[in-house]
Amino acid sequence: MKDNKTMIPGYFGREPFFSINAEGYVTACNYAAERICEITSKELNNTSFKTLFTQPDLAEEMLQRASTAGMVSDVHLSFRSSKEDDHKNVVFGAFCFSNGEDQPSTIFAVASQHESDEGSFQNILKEIADYKYALDESSIVAITDQKGTITYVNDNFCSISKYDRSELIGQDHRIINSAYHPKEFIRNLWVTIANGKIWRDELKNRAKDGSYYWVDTTIVPFLNNQGKPYKYLAIRADITSRKAVEENLETSLKETSDYKYALDESSIVAITDQKGIIKYANYNFCRISKFSYEELIGRDHRIINSGHHPKAFIRNLWVTIANGKIWRGELKNKAKDGSYYWVDTTIIPFLDEKGKPYQYVAIRADITQRKLAEEEIIILNEELEKRVKERTEEIESFSYSVSHDLRGPLRAVNGYAKILEEEYRSIFDEEAKRLLGEVQHNAKRMGILIDDLLAFARLGRQEVQGSLIDMNKLTAATIRDINQTITHRADIRIKNLLPVKADHSLLEHVMGNLISNAIKYSSKKENPVVEIKSKRGDCELIYSVSDNGVGFDMEYQHKLFGVFQRLHSADEFPGTGVGLAIAQRIINKHKGKIWAEGTPGKGATFYFSLPEII
Amino acid sequence: MDNTEIEILLVEDNSNDAELTIRALTKAKIANSIVHLHDGAQAIDFLFGKGEYAKRDINNKPQLILLDLKMPKVDGLEVLQKIKADELTKRIPVVILTSSKENPDIEKSYALGANSYIVKPVDFEGFAKAITDLGFYWILLNQNPL
Repeated sequence: MKDNKTMIPGYFGREPFFSINAEGYVTACNYAAERICEITSKELNNTSFKTLFTQPDLAEEMLQRASTAGMVSDVHLSFRSSKEDDHKNVVFGAFCFSNGEDQPSTIFAVASQHESDEGSFQNILKEIADYKYALDESSIVAITDQKGTITYVNDNFCSISKYDRSELIGQDHRIINSAYHPKEFIRNLWVTIANGKIWRDELKNRAKDGSYYWVDTTIVPFLNNQGKPYKYLAIRADITSRKAVEENLETSLKETSDYKYALDESSIVAITDQKGIIKYANYNFCRISKFSYEELIGRDHRIINSGHHPKAFIRNLWVTIANGKIWRGELKNKAKDGSYYWVDTTIIPFLDEKGKPYQYVAIRADITQRKLAEEEIIILNEELEKRVKERTEEIESFSYSVSHDLRGPLRAVNGYAKILEEEYRSIFDEEAKRLLGEVQHNAKRMGILIDDLLAFARLGRQEVQGSLIDMNKLTAATIRDINQTITHRADIRIKNLLPVKADHSLLEHVMGNLISNAIKYSSKKENPVVEIKSKRGDCELIYSVSDNGVGFDMEYQHKLFGVFQRLHSADEFPGTGVGLAIAQRIINKHKGKIWAEGTPGKGATFYFSLPEII
Repeated sequence: MDNTEIEILLVEDNSNDAELTIRALTKAKIANSIVHLHDGAQAIDFLFGKGEYAKRDINNKPQLILLDLKMPKVDGLEVLQKIKADELTKRIPVVILTSSKENPDIEKSYALGANSYIVKPVDFEGFAKAITDLGFYWILLNQNPL
């Protein structure tokens, strides 16, 4: 921004130039003035201006005219000279530089030594005057002494800085220092102007009310005859609004580049033209696709096509973006080395003024790990389902082969024992008959065990069929069945049972098991009583079967429902230890619970709950 | 080969089961003439006069076939299929013998034209009763169309 083009000093350098205070004394001059007056500027300072001329009256008149009219030109004067007859005739022009209403004004006077060049001098003067006028009108002008103390400010300076003139005169520029610029910058300013060079740059200043303003600033040093600056003219132009725009622009530019940076860092980015030809691919794109930038540019996305997606899917993508709509989806791509990767993809069409896409920006995120995990889960699930199916089939074939293979030999044992019993009984002694009885008894038990085990296994794959069951009817029918097979009798009391929605045949099995158990384990009592009740619980129906039989120790209750787990020997009470396991399995299948309470010698109560489905 | 009328053809690889079956049938006086074959291949040869039975009169057909499903070489289902596919034999009643009612082959047997099935019970009385009931029905009551 720096611009060292000189503007005003050229005039002041070439022609003798004086600044004169209100009292008519010289306050400053330039080299040319020293030369023509033949004394140093130091000597000239505080010299009465008019005494420099052979016509002091005329000179004084010029100053008066300048201070009243603002400007005077074409005044012919002759400088005094040390040599006789060497009159230095010049044509003077002067203008008054007002420092404000109550302040004494300064008169600038410029002499042209070229009489013949009168017209051009006029022009110079006029130009200076115009310039000053324009400057005052358009610019923010301040003059400081060589120490930087403000000696003059124009109206514009006051209005932008919001200070009164009186508050500014005598101060230095620190009064409007914004502290925005680095020290180095300010030092450079001072070094430049102290060396007599013009400094130009943009400054941020602070107004009286604390607000900031930007000024395009040119500081022109005025040099004395030693070439040292004795005052500085600072011309400023208000560029606050431009700076604000610039700052906004800069901010948004920075934001944009920040976004781009963040995007490039975090995402896989590619830009294609409307035909899908890749115009840009960022580092992440290259890295994941394993193609170099050069290999990608000019190609279309088929270069990374995995062939995984159906044609209709890809067509839908193109239709979407060609219609100017954003497409989002998950894509499987193929890298250069043939490996696959998954990307979560957003394709944004950029539309021209006709609303047609002229380019597409595709932003992708690597989701390969997630996809792999998902695929793995799917595979694992399939595997699991397959294994469950296999296992179920295994169980089925196991139960079939158990029934077939174990029953065969058992049938033979039974059959041949029966033949022995029927045809050789007459020649058997008592012990032989007893031993044969044991064989038959155990073979029978084994048959029951196998049947129970099969029933238990069968439950695993039996579907639960739900229907509304009248539990009173079901229980009565179950008791009838039991009475046909069990010889013991008990006093069975049914207390009006609540109906339930469940699988009829399965529930019949549970009831049958619990009631026959109750009868069995109370069979050694004198007055066996079995009580069947029900009550409504919290969203469930609870049924109970209690007896006054042998009961059980609560310590062993966890063993009650295990397969082949028994609390009594088969000699004491016959049984295989599968019945309650089956009952539990049935109740579990209904999402219910089964449990028991008991006291040794006093009886037991078995409960089961079923969810109340309305 | 003699031309004695065959009442029952028993195809059963388990010799214990076969012995007990024959015993039950004879004891109940249902059949006097029972032919016992040990596998499916033998049964086919017997029925269609092939192999070792090449000289047998294939028109001397049994009145009832008791057919075990699980047999080595040619299993019961295959024998059943051949019997029911041939004009010569398709009207002979076939009763399937199986160890388990869980056997999915029972359904296939019916689809192939089996007339009935017996689950061989574990206990001998049950077994004998089932065999005699079936034999009684098919031999003595059921009027063979041929």
